[in-house]
Amino acid sequence: MAAPAAVLLLVFHYLPTLGNIIAFQDYNPFVGDDPLDAFLNSEWIGFGNFEALFRDPLFWDAVRNTLSITAFQLVFFFPLPILLALILNSVVSGRLRGFVQSVVYLPHFFSWVLVVTFFVQMFGGAGLLAQEMRQAGLEPWGIMTNPDTFIVLVTAEAVWKDLGWGAIVFLAALSAIDQNLYEAAAADGAGRWRRLWHITLPGLRPVIVLLLIMRLGDALSVGFEQFILQREAVGRQAAEVLDTFVYYQAISTQQWGLGAAAGLFKAVVGLVLILTANKIAHRLGEQGVYSKS
Amino acid sequence: MTPSARTSTDRRTMLRLIGLGAAATVGGGALAGCSKEAGSQGSATNADAIKAVLPTYKRAELLKPDIPGEGPIPDGYLSYPRELVDAVTEPPGRGGPPIQTMSPWWGPTPPPLGRNAYLGAVNGKLGVEVNPSLQDGLTYADKLNAMLGARDVPELLSAPNWEVDKVARFSDAVKALFTDLTDHLQGDNAAKYPYLAALPSGAWEYSVWGGRLYAVPFPTDGPFAWAMFYRKDLLGAAGLATPTSLDELYEFGKKATDPAKGVWAFGSVFEMIQQYFGCNQTWRKKPDGGLQHKFEDPAFEAALAFTARLFAEGLVHPDTVESKGEDEKQLFNSGKILMYRDGLGAWQGMQSERAKELPTFDMQPLPVFGGQGAQPVIWGSEKPIFYTFLKKDLPAERVDEMLRVLNWCAAPFGSREFELREYGVEGQHFTRSADGTPALTELGRKELGAQYTHIGGRVPVKVRSGDTPNYVQDYIGYYRKHIGQMEQDLFAGIKLELPANWSKIIQPTEDKIRDILRGRRPVSDLAQVRKEFLDTGGEEGRAFHEKALADNGR
Repeated sequence: MAAPAAVLLLVFHYLPTLGNIIAFQDYNPFVGDDPLDAFLNSEWIGFGNFEALFRDPLFWDAVRNTLSITAFQLVFFFPLPILLALILNSVVSGRLRGFVQSVVYLPHFFSWVLVVTFFVQMFGGAGLLAQEMRQAGLEPWGIMTNPDTFIVLVTAEAVWKDLGWGAIVFLAALSAIDQNLYEAAAADGAGRWRRLWHITLPGLRPVIVLLLIMRLGDALSVGFEQFILQREAVGRQAAEVLDTFVYYQAISTQQWGLGAAAGLFKAVVGLVLILTANKIAHRLGEQGVYSKS
Repeated sequence: MTPSARTSTDRRTMLRLIGLGAAATVGGGALAGCSKEAGSQGSATNADAIKAVLPTYKRAELLKPDIPGEGPIPDGYLSYPRELVDAVTEPPGRGGPPIQTMSPWWGPTPPPLGRNAYLGAVNGKLGVEVNPSLQDGLTYADKLNAMLGARDVPELLSAPNWEVDKVARFSDAVKALFTDLTDHLQGDNAAKYPYLAALPSGAWEYSVWGGRLYAVPFPTDGPFAWAMFYRKDLLGAAGLATPTSLDELYEFGKKATDPAKGVWAFGSVFEMIQQYFGCNQTWRKKPDGGLQHKFEDPAFEAALAFTARLFAEGLVHPDTVESKGEDEKQLFNSGKILMYRDGLGAWQGMQSERAKELPTFDMQPLPVFGGQGAQPVIWGSEKPIFYTFLKKDLPAERVDEMLRVLNWCAAPFGSREFELREYGVEGQHFTRSADGTPALTELGRKELGAQYTHIGGRVPVKVRSGDTPNYVQDYIGYYRKHIGQMEQDLFAGIKLELPANWSKIIQPTEDKIRDILRGRRPVSDLAQVRKEFLDTGGEEGRAFHEKALADNGR
């Protein structure tokens, strides 16, 4: 039964991984007679790509931006779906809950182009807010073009887009908590907050830890489209993240080897982070991504 | 950012760590010590080698033009011929399998084969099925790069010159992926395909890679890169004079911008401002020999300062500031911006489409003026707009069949083939106005998508049409007025493959220039930007270009 899944994994994940060898080549896709030949015939340059990458200050700018955004969103985005799930869970009316859920899920299905356009139309210099402010005799400020507050802007966009979606997992975890516990606690005189603290949050903890570890593994990926779309508005200094760096410096100049090197770097850092976070989780008595044998 | 000592230690440690891990994975002692820099050094094909493989030019003219073009300016026709002739008597198809094509299109995707009456009609004439795939012109590079990298190209591929220029090692790609057309088209062999032989040699010159002919060009219908378009109707209605100097342009911006009404004077204009200041597109010969890059030209700094002021004073539409400027055509159409730069190719389509809803709509290119004592320079070249490549390893008969199809697509004005390709079927895709000129219907706009036009280079002409009655005179008039100001392309006829270090600095430098334009950095930072540019690849690029010129005795 697992065979199709294994084949899928092999063909679309493990085999392509071999392509990472171009990180150590001056890869030229056009030598030889076919793509495989190109791998074999491209010149081997050892760590030349990595050296070029690590010598490039633009690369470190991108790494710094990416990590700042990850850290910022860990604090200001990650807890919000939990909060939303708790609030939704406490809504008694099923119809109201269904309605609110649908409304907050919906933006998840919008593409980034749409989300960014929506923000521009609402908060941009020719947008709704700016026009209202002008009517009222106020001078609108550059919400969409301020590099200093860009991190807040992208987080706000991400929250608007994915808050509801992120809450689904937590809602599922909430529904798995034994209702008897609440009744017993209430019978013993535990108030709303005590029940939240002693029953709900401990019940959610394994899921929270799991998602946190997975998010850490993705620390060097914060998205691509969102940043490339807004790059000109705030400039490279604020909007260059690792993925856009790879796009501009490797893909669009066809330095495939350099791009692969950056990708490999991302993967290795992600793996190290996941393993570390998992270890810490084990120390704290959590299950983590996989349990200790 | 200046890296601190601390981070550089981290970097070395990181490098060692990753190096160890990776070396262990690959298991090769072979890597040790063979670390080397990646990237192409660039190459240039000699102009003489190119001349030798060109098709013999033979003019194919069915009708005498009313306004003959000069040099790269297309011929103009003020009336549409009542009698059309058959330019191709024998169907080009040999009954081969459907020809897969890919070409760019800037608009909604037309319905595919089977649900598209236009494709059905043209394919019926061709005697072989052409099955086009249209891709969004704005993101064409993404698709193209993936295709080239995977070596999975369609039988006929149309690629815009600006995308081709960006592909590193394109001459390798050409050899690996596309058919060498030299034997089919060199010299008098081209006589078999008379309408391809009628394409200007100036366009063919650019279709040579490594001394061999690899593509059929789609010649430009006007060599200028950009024009500054303005809403003549709105300026007139508001009593604003057409600017004739930079000072007047600035004053116009001040007067026309009214955020409370949602109107801003400008969209993107920087390219035009540079031309007003007399700044070359990239390189200029110095009097004492050698090349000067435009960043080293004081005119560039003046243009930058001027445009930065337009941004700083809020005279540019916020959507242009906040996005990549994709919506400028709509903003211009709806009168939210009054002036922006665009390719001259945008003109007729926008004028005809918008005039249907707003009969007074009138967009015109602003006559070019010099800035603050400088003579203006107009950017442009005879570089073809698109190249059409044939996939490699096709049998000779198939290549012949496909070239015959391209020949059909290139049939000149005055032929039935031209009309069908350009306008579709009468009554369906276009209606004939009283003076005989075709005007596209809704179905025509929906189905055409230049699907045959963009793959077969046609000899460009400008034809008066009922919905844009003044366009031909306006267009040719603008060109005639300004053609003398066009810069000489120092590298015309030399095929350049730019070095990797040069390609790499383009984007970071553009980012920095944009920072200055948008007021995130002061104009005085240009000196710093210039220095970084020259140090990290600019000088290498200069040496490369100087050598290419010297090798060609220029």
